[in-house]
Amino acid sequence: MRALLGTAIVAAVLGPCAPLHAQWVNVPPAKIPRTSDGKPNLAAPAPRLSDGKPDLSGVWTPNNTYQGEPQNFAADLKVENVPFQPWAKALYDERKTGMHSKEDPSAQCLPQGVPRVNAAPGQWKLVQTPDYIVIIYEAFNILWRQVFLDGRQPAHDAPPTWLGYSTGKWDGDTLVVDTTGFNGKIWLDLMGTPSTDALHVIERFHRTDFGHMDIDIVIDDPKAYTRPWTVNEHARLLPDTELMEAICNENNRDLEHLPGDTVR
Amino acid sequence: MAVRFLGSVLLVVFAGIAGDRLQAHHSFAAQYDRSKPHTITGSVTRIEWLNPHIYLYLAVKDDAGTDRQWAVEGGAPNGLYRQGWRSDTVKVGDVVTVDGWLARDGTNLLNMGSATMGGRKLFSGAAGQ
Repeated sequence: MRALLGTAIVAAVLGPCAPLHAQWVNVPPAKIPRTSDGKPNLAAPAPRLSDGKPDLSGVWTPNNTYQGEPQNFAADLKVENVPFQPWAKALYDERKTGMHSKEDPSAQCLPQGVPRVNAAPGQWKLVQTPDYIVIIYEAFNILWRQVFLDGRQPAHDAPPTWLGYSTGKWDGDTLVVDTTGFNGKIWLDLMGTPSTDALHVIERFHRTDFGHMDIDIVIDDPKAYTRPWTVNEHARLLPDTELMEAICNENNRDLEHLPGDTVR
Repeated sequence: MAVRFLGSVLLVVFAGIAGDRLQAHHSFAAQYDRSKPHTITGSVTRIEWLNPHIYLYLAVKDDAGTDRQWAVEGGAPNGLYRQGWRSDTVKVGDVVTVDGWLARDGTNLLNMGSATMGGRKLFSGAAGQ
């Protein structure tokens, strides 16, 4: 009895890392540095590929809180520092009241766009090769994104999309991802910070150690903002889980309770 | 006894750890009123273990003793699964108490903050967070 109680307490402390029965989303990490007590060492140096470049691969989750809404666009976003065009500020002020919440593409199970999709909601898996990166987002119907690292130029004739067209290059140990080709429908965050089809996003991915990644982001959208502005996202590695299917439109009952219009 | 204790400890721990992994695809504040916490107890009549959020439907007696249908919106299935919840953790006919927040539109809709069954806490965390 006492032994069982002790086991219970140990299991409770370890929580999802040591389930009593196997869970396929709770996978013991095979290739990960460990501390002397056997725990994943998330402070170990970032891994590298055979070409010497940092390997950003892994399952990541955002660490952001914004105006009381967790897992949102950027932890440090200060609205007073966003250089809105007057129309964009007026639209933002309306949206943040919630009166247009039904019009948020995310509420309609449509993609959140770049860079919001990195920040909310949930986890994403980055797979890196020397020539390209694929990011798979668990939320919103298993979205995928490609970042080409082979030196090609941005495709200016690419059809406008939610996630745009991304190319990347290395600046030392930082991967600089340049994305254009957006459809102009993206809410940059849950508050409704607007964007247009002129949106140009630069994300600087820096894996600071094994378990953490900083993403410095430049939002350059001259139709909506008077100058480029920056935010930072912070992601942490989930060393012991895998992505799961999540088809958002299975049963989206929220729309009927949200104010605003349904727009496409 | 010990097994029951183990189960409840694990569930509470799962709930606490997973609290920051909840998935949001819409604004909580636009749909629910954080200033209107509410508690209901009722018998489960239907369970929708579906994306983007699970729903429990409860028959809740009003002051006159008449059963009223309530909908309870919970977290995302994947988030709950990672907490240790399963689609059959709660079954039709179970009596569940839910603490949550009322919908702004005045319908019998509650956003689940936490749920207990037989005095055992099932999980915590609201949809839209």
